Amino acid sequence: MTRIKLTQGLFVFLFFIPLVGFGHDVTSADQELLRNGGLWAYVQVGATHMLTGYDHLLFLAGVIFYLNSFRDIVKFITVFTIGHCITLIGATYAGVTANEHLVDAVIALSVFYKGFENLGGFEKLKVKSPNLLLMVGLFGLIHGFGLSTRLQSFEMGDGQMLAKILCFNLGVEIGQILALIPIVLIISIAKKYPRFPAFYKAVNSYLILAGIGLFAYQLYGYFFGH
Amino acid sequence: MSTPSKTPKSQILKSLALVLAVVLLSSHDLYLKMGTYFLQPNQEARISLYNGTFERSENIITRDRMLDASIVIGGDRRAIQADQWQDQDSTITQLPFKAEGEGTYLVGVSTQAKNIELAANEFNDYLEHDGVSDMLEQRTQAGLLDQDAVESYQKHVKAIFQVGDAKTEDWKTVLDYPIEFVPQENPYEKYSGENLAIQLLLEGEPLANQLVYADFIQTAHSHEGQEHSHEHGESTHTHDDESGSEETHTHTSGQKLRTNNQGIVTVDLPEDGIYYIRTIHMVTTPESEELTHQSKWATLTFEVTHKHGADTHTHDDHDHEEGIPTWVFVLGSAILIGLFYLIFRKKD
Repeated sequence: MTRIKLTQGLFVFLFFIPLVGFGHDVTSADQELLRNGGLWAYVQVGATHMLTGYDHLLFLAGVIFYLNSFRDIVKFITVFTIGHCITLIGATYAGVTANEHLVDAVIALSVFYKGFENLGGFEKLKVKSPNLLLMVGLFGLIHGFGLSTRLQSFEMGDGQMLAKILCFNLGVEIGQILALIPIVLIISIAKKYPRFPAFYKAVNSYLILAGIGLFAYQLYGYFFGH
Repeated sequence: MSTPSKTPKSQILKSLALVLAVVLLSSHDLYLKMGTYFLQPNQEARISLYNGTFERSENIITRDRMLDASIVIGGDRRAIQADQWQDQDSTITQLPFKAEGEGTYLVGVSTQAKNIELAANEFNDYLEHDGVSDMLEQRTQAGLLDQDAVESYQKHVKAIFQVGDAKTEDWKTVLDYPIEFVPQENPYEKYSGENLAIQLLLEGEPLANQLVYADFIQTAHSHEGQEHSHEHGESTHTHDDESGSEETHTHTSGQKLRTNNQGIVTVDLPEDGIYYIRTIHMVTTPESEELTHQSKWATLTFEVTHKHGADTHTHDDHDHEEGIPTWVFVLGSAILIGLFYLIFRKKD
């Protein structure tokens, strides 16, 4: 019994390893890095931003939770990746931007959406849930736009704009893979334990709450912070 | 829609005009610039000497040109040694720097005078594009627009940046440069939407009735910042400049100000951004056999943020949940999941 509790506690701890391990603040050092570090710096900053972007990671965790096979995981993550690549590269290159708080508020809603869907929210409301693959692709576009607004908040200097964007995008993908490895691993291990249903409900309930909280936080920032 | 075909002659003329424009309009301002002017104690950063425009440096500054390079921290003025500077790609001279304790830091560089010879039309264009309107007016009034010039120029630049939250008094240090800007208040106790009084000193005395230009780049969006590009008129063939720039923007965008009797201008700070203040003080030198003009250039840079952001989501918080410390987020999340888990386990 004690062993089970310890294991369960370990799940919670390990689940947050990506955040604990990489969750340092992205500081002005990033701006310095981008200014002086060449294209490699964009890869580094892209990876850092993905790894410190709670909302991105929470959404990904929500997606992984719902899936059962490795093939499905690859399929959904690929769609999400294509989605965020399109808007990250396109919006940044075209200089299209929006208020960061509003974009992040929509991203927060995606976290809420995933938790809600994973807990069978649509079924409870007797509403047919939208095609998950389509929604993941749509949210991929939105997350990519969020990453784009973040990238555009940096002074990128002159020249090599496309190369810089691509390198940042490459960094995002590296960060995403680094984040996914422990997430997939932990969820896969967790599924083997009898208490997994409780863990599943707990995490997805948390996603709903986190989505609402981040949404409110971003709206507050939009109306009162700027 | 087709365009009229161009003759070889017109193409040659156009090319020549372009080359001429490059030569005439590619003079260089000098700025001390940082990616961000908000650092944390012990944070490593680079202070760059931008020789060109505020957005793009085109040439390094050789050490022998630096008469003084100083940084003032906690009331202590320290010389920056020549070997502390590094050159990047032969375009930017940089100072690797590690912040110490909290405070408002001042850094300055003063360069020695150099001479430049310019044909009359080149000189007139340079005066126009660099906003040295008083001298252009003077030449116009005196009917001297056809006179060539030999100008001695020197540049003296400063930057003020903030480390941590605590404000100190080094921002008002007079570095005793031939010309320099000295704020009348700490720029880091000013916020967007406010203004800042800045005094211009020439040989230590307030310089009245001098044109000063103030502009800024937004720190929120790089592309917009690039639109503020300025070009200056040091001729490429007589300076260290090896610029191939074809930008021909004027230097006089932003706020055009004139110092009052106390040598003070009041600079509006409408938005968050990195502000750069510049002036060129030019006089004729009738007593000199070698020179016709002497100019002294000064710039000052600093960053401004909004009041709320200064404490909660400053430029060193580019993270996604700005204002929420990571450990708070992680701990809060773990507690929530733990609580939910206990609830659902009990239910099950």
